[in-house]
Amino acid sequence: MEKNPHKDSDRDTRAIFISKVQELAYEMKVEQVMTPNAVSVPPEMRMDDLRILMQKERISGVPVVTGGAVQGLVSIEDLMNYLASDEKGRTVAEKMSKKVTTVFKDDPLTRAVNLFDMTGFGRFPVVDRGTGKLAGVITKGDIVKGFLKRLEVEYHEEEIHRYRASHFFEDIVADKATLTFHYGVKGGDFAKAGRASSGLKKTLSRLGIKPEVIRRVAIASYEAEMNMVIYSKGGRLSAEVTPEIIKVTATDVGPGIPDVEKAMQPGYSTASPWVREMGFGAGMGLPNIKKCSDHMVVNSVVGTGTTVEFIIGV
Amino acid sequence: MNLSEIAEALNLSARTCKSAMDREVGGGYASDLLSDVMGRARKGDVWVTMQTHQNVVAVAVLKEMAAIIIVNGREPESDTAQKAEEEGIPLLVSAEPTFEVVGKLYSMGIRASSDA
Amino acid sequence: MTLDEICRLLEGEFLSGQAKRGEEVSIVGATDLMSDALAYMKPKSLLLTGLANIQVVRTAEMADLKAVCFVRGKQLEASVIEEARSEELPLMRTPFPMFKACGILWQKGLNPCF
Repeated sequence: MEKNPHKDSDRDTRAIFISKVQELAYEMKVEQVMTPNAVSVPPEMRMDDLRILMQKERISGVPVVTGGAVQGLVSIEDLMNYLASDEKGRTVAEKMSKKVTTVFKDDPLTRAVNLFDMTGFGRFPVVDRGTGKLAGVITKGDIVKGFLKRLEVEYHEEEIHRYRASHFFEDIVADKATLTFHYGVKGGDFAKAGRASSGLKKTLSRLGIKPEVIRRVAIASYEAEMNMVIYSKGGRLSAEVTPEIIKVTATDVGPGIPDVEKAMQPGYSTASPWVREMGFGAGMGLPNIKKCSDHMVVNSVVGTGTTVEFIIGV
Repeated sequence: MNLSEIAEALNLSARTCKSAMDREVGGGYASDLLSDVMGRARKGDVWVTMQTHQNVVAVAVLKEMAAIIIVNGREPESDTAQKAEEEGIPLLVSAEPTFEVVGKLYSMGIRASSDA
Repeated sequence: MTLDEICRLLEGEFLSGQAKRGEEVSIVGATDLMSDALAYMKPKSLLLTGLANIQVVRTAEMADLKAVCFVRGKQLEASVIEEARSEELPLMRTPFPMFKACGILWQKGLNPCF
């Protein structure tokens, strides 16, 4: 049977959409989508006045509040039941549901989503965790609107980003175009090690370079950067990007490598036990760089420093 | 279970102490961090690691471990092998990575002794 | 197998990236040496490690790993978890030692990185 490309891509799009929404549900907070300063009523309000209020405000449920604290929730259903009965002159306090589920405004949206699912309620009062007071109201509609707004913003950003990436070199009028990025690397600073490569990786991704190419550049750059951090006083990581290749140069000031050929052998290392305990120094750095790149050169002067240069085709 | 049974099942080659292959294995430990092995491995464990540096032998001796399996097709450095021979620590090598080697040891019934 | 199932099998917990717990992993690498992980691990694979520093997160970022699971209940500095969050990288932690964690996942049919 012939494969229907539309169906497949539809399914992919849907899968991406669902996982994106799940992600957002964890990431976004209740307060980002709730209706703040929502209408609330005091417990002593008469049900007949509540009816007028609900009609005017076009809402289907109202938190009942004294001094900011939520006492209950009165819904349009409670109101209808009251109107259908023969009772007269009752107050909200007598007719509201006292067992009310609330969410905190700093709760992840996923909590509200799960609660809607479990309880079948249409709205929850939102409470400030610190003060215990009513901060707003959240409905299912608020959540859907919140998601859509956020997805729309991200979609626009993605579009702009894609345009920029694919047109970057086309927009440049020159016989030869090279983009150059420089990153400083501090020797001995283990906690910050990897920031240069991380920055380079993100930059290349924004330029729209293929992920498998970026991965090779990132791994090789990171190994070069770790070498600078572990063995040298520091230096600079530079990347030149053309439409055809990415050339990375890692230059450091440091002790240099006495025997480059030996240093290229897998497993050869002069690392201290401390470095080994940090997960590096097993003698794989330079071999890894070589493995990731199409061309690699190491130049080292003992007592001065080392330059590692590698090229990866785009 | 002894070392030669393990070596046969996992297709390991012994690089040192080939005469000590009848040694019993009490448990297993997998780590590439020496400090970790120093702190947690037990006597009689077989140690699975990527490390080929001679310090691994010193740690194995100190912890009275049964043997060291070096994984991922790596070979012990020459001074590592020499020291292991002197100290009576069998060094075995495997072409497979840690996950595969440990998985097979585990399915043969060898357990992490620190968590028996 | 999903990250969630792996976390359950290893009686572990998520430290970051819970939103991706439904994502699938079929390849596992077990190492404490980051150069080893960089050289051999496949994109989208799971790293089991006893190393607990910021470079684990960097390595996962560079090598496009799917997730990291720390063994032996390793304590992590808040900055490491923070970095993983900003990279949207799922971090898990199991109380089991590396040996047991590998044994369990291998028996469930997960594959090594060759």
